[in-house]
Amino acid sequence: MTQTFRDSDTVDFLVIGSGAAGGVIARELAQAGLTVVVLEQGPRFSLRSFRHDELKDWYLGGLTNDAVKNPQTFRNDGAAKAELQKFKPALWYGRGVGGGTLHYTANYWRLHEIDFIERSVLGAIPGTGFADWPITYADLEPYYTKVEWEVGVSGLAGASPFDPPRTKPYPMPPLPVKSSGVLFERGARKLGLHPIPAPMAINSQQYRGRPACVHCGFCHGFACEVGAKASTLTTVIPDAEATGRCEVRPDSYVSRIDTGGDGRVTGVAYFDRDRREHFQRARAVVVSANGAETPRLLLMSANARFPHGLANSSGLVGKYLMFNYSSRAEGVFEHELNEFKSVQVTRILHDFYNSDPKRGHYGGGGLDARIGPQPTTWAIRAAADGRSWGSEYKARLKEFPRSMQVASHGTSLALESNNITLDPDLKDAWGLPAIRTTYKDHPDDLANARFLRDRGAEILEAAGALRVTKAEVAEQASSVHLLGTCRMGNDRATSVVDKYHRCHDVPNLFLCDGSSLVTSTRGQPTMTIQALAFRAGEHIARFAKRGEI
Amino acid sequence: MDSPTLSRRSLLHALAAAMATAAMPVSWTEIAQAAQDVHAAGHAGAGAGAAKLSFLTAAEAADVEAVASQIIPTDDSPGAREAGVVFFIDRALATFLSQLAGDYRAQLGDFQAACHERHPVAGPFASLTSEQQIEYLKGVDQTPFFNTTRVLTLLGMFSLPAYGGNRDGVGWKLLGFEDAHVFRPPFGYYDRDYPGFVIDLEKIK
Repeated sequence: MTQTFRDSDTVDFLVIGSGAAGGVIARELAQAGLTVVVLEQGPRFSLRSFRHDELKDWYLGGLTNDAVKNPQTFRNDGAAKAELQKFKPALWYGRGVGGGTLHYTANYWRLHEIDFIERSVLGAIPGTGFADWPITYADLEPYYTKVEWEVGVSGLAGASPFDPPRTKPYPMPPLPVKSSGVLFERGARKLGLHPIPAPMAINSQQYRGRPACVHCGFCHGFACEVGAKASTLTTVIPDAEATGRCEVRPDSYVSRIDTGGDGRVTGVAYFDRDRREHFQRARAVVVSANGAETPRLLLMSANARFPHGLANSSGLVGKYLMFNYSSRAEGVFEHELNEFKSVQVTRILHDFYNSDPKRGHYGGGGLDARIGPQPTTWAIRAAADGRSWGSEYKARLKEFPRSMQVASHGTSLALESNNITLDPDLKDAWGLPAIRTTYKDHPDDLANARFLRDRGAEILEAAGALRVTKAEVAEQASSVHLLGTCRMGNDRATSVVDKYHRCHDVPNLFLCDGSSLVTSTRGQPTMTIQALAFRAGEHIARFAKRGEI
Repeated sequence: MDSPTLSRRSLLHALAAAMATAAMPVSWTEIAQAAQDVHAAGHAGAGAGAAKLSFLTAAEAADVEAVASQIIPTDDSPGAREAGVVFFIDRALATFLSQLAGDYRAQLGDFQAACHERHPVAGPFASLTSEQQIEYLKGVDQTPFFNTTRVLTLLGMFSLPAYGGNRDGVGWKLLGFEDAHVFRPPFGYYDRDYPGFVIDLEKIK
């Protein structure tokens, strides 16, 4: 890949991160006629290099931040010393051109109207940062449609009685149902629930030059070697590059955003693959580095003018971290399901999406039918009568082809005490302060996870499972959903960016990724992050053209 | 036996079947090539040179293998021993999980010392009878040493054979996991006669 721009060139926009949001924004800006450099800390993979290698991709950071180069510390009590995570980092994110869209499961639900106004409808929840969004579902609907058609989503419009209004159907029909989907549908309907074909960002037929899914089974935690699963690497980034105005620079690890005497951003410092430091100048910067790295970068960019971190006059940069909670019930059936084949999820339901005061806790979510992880991780989680080794355990492993789970995807409340800060002692391989995470699930989040898990267990029972097991709901110490850490809002005292993702404090700095979310969603945030990115990209390009940046 | 020749043949067979029935206008030659690359990488070097230890001492390896063999015992089907798990663990600690090596050696030493205290005349853990080993492990199966050994054993059991364990795919055979790269519906018993999705017209409250 040749370099289009030099560090000394002042480009219109620098986009930090090439994942779900960064890739989309780069395309929208470049197609609007602006010059863009995308800095991505990870490498640029070719599809041909992707492997069905669970050890590498799940345990050795093949596609993600790893525990050695990007060490992190974790604690669940803000008064305790955070512990180094030696095996797997607590916060796990995509590292490579495409970011998390390389290895995600590709569940592509839209949010519902309620998600944006839940605080007004339900009232305050004491001790939390529960709040309305500064935008509504109607504001975002055109961009959800854009995601479905530009990125490519398979699904069936009109199938769910709970779905919010939409202006267009899905561009592709649903993927073929799996045995888990048939059983889930059977059990749920017996209980009077409303299962529907899962909307997935995976091609059920050839779409926009990418092939249909070959059902290899390696979606969740793996990158798709045929390109049937949508990633920004295979969709919007090639579009952006085709304009001739966008350069994606992999192996570029940003260490600092600089500001000038007027408090405006001038550019960013980054390390190249040989750890040489560069400084790229830009008229404006968009940070889409994910809900962990975006706040970390702002905190690392503290200077005399911004002593508590860039764009942090609210003190909320890094705060209100939300993980979502995914609980599960597992079922073993008489015959083979062979869930290791094809995509993770083919049926979902949203009957329990809304929070209901009768349940005694805040929260709601969706349920889906799936295998869960591929063999090794499945085996690590398995147990027989409470023992996870020995003859009975080995016999349990043989049930792998006859097993499935109903996974829940639930809410997390925003708490100031759940946050990302810079570790005072630990440094990463580049000598930069490591991420320190403090996180403890709110009791309502755990109650909601148990509630949803129990509904899943009922569906498995109704579907005729020989045996149903409820996985324990314990406090989380790691996550792949990194949300809420630079929230959007109208009030600069209680949010970091405005409703167009512009920092309240720095007019030419924009943040758009999971960090922008005000509430946690129901566990499938990527679709919404991409819709926000399409919307942000359109508005930011308009501001740039009007000279309003 | 999961020889490369057989696997390649079954892969091509699956692709041929898919091509015969699919109306999808995709480039199957490209997909076949991608799948082949994936397969070749997973099996390259399987078993070769895997019988040498580079981190664990022979005595340590004997005890680790004995513990692994209680986690996935050998009965009517192969277990951790036949999968070569101890060689996987040795390679992991020497190379791609070397950050765990120091702690692991210390924990293993504590395990060996405590076992010796309990069975002072019987020799190391590996020399105990299987019943004694199980009895002993029941008392320590919540320790960091056991948990790490268990995870490493399962990684060695089910990871790609190229990493030195899962010899001849015995781990995958135990699970009933098929090492193929293209599948076609129906995938299992329950989706065989699925009549198609019908929108539930019964309205919600």
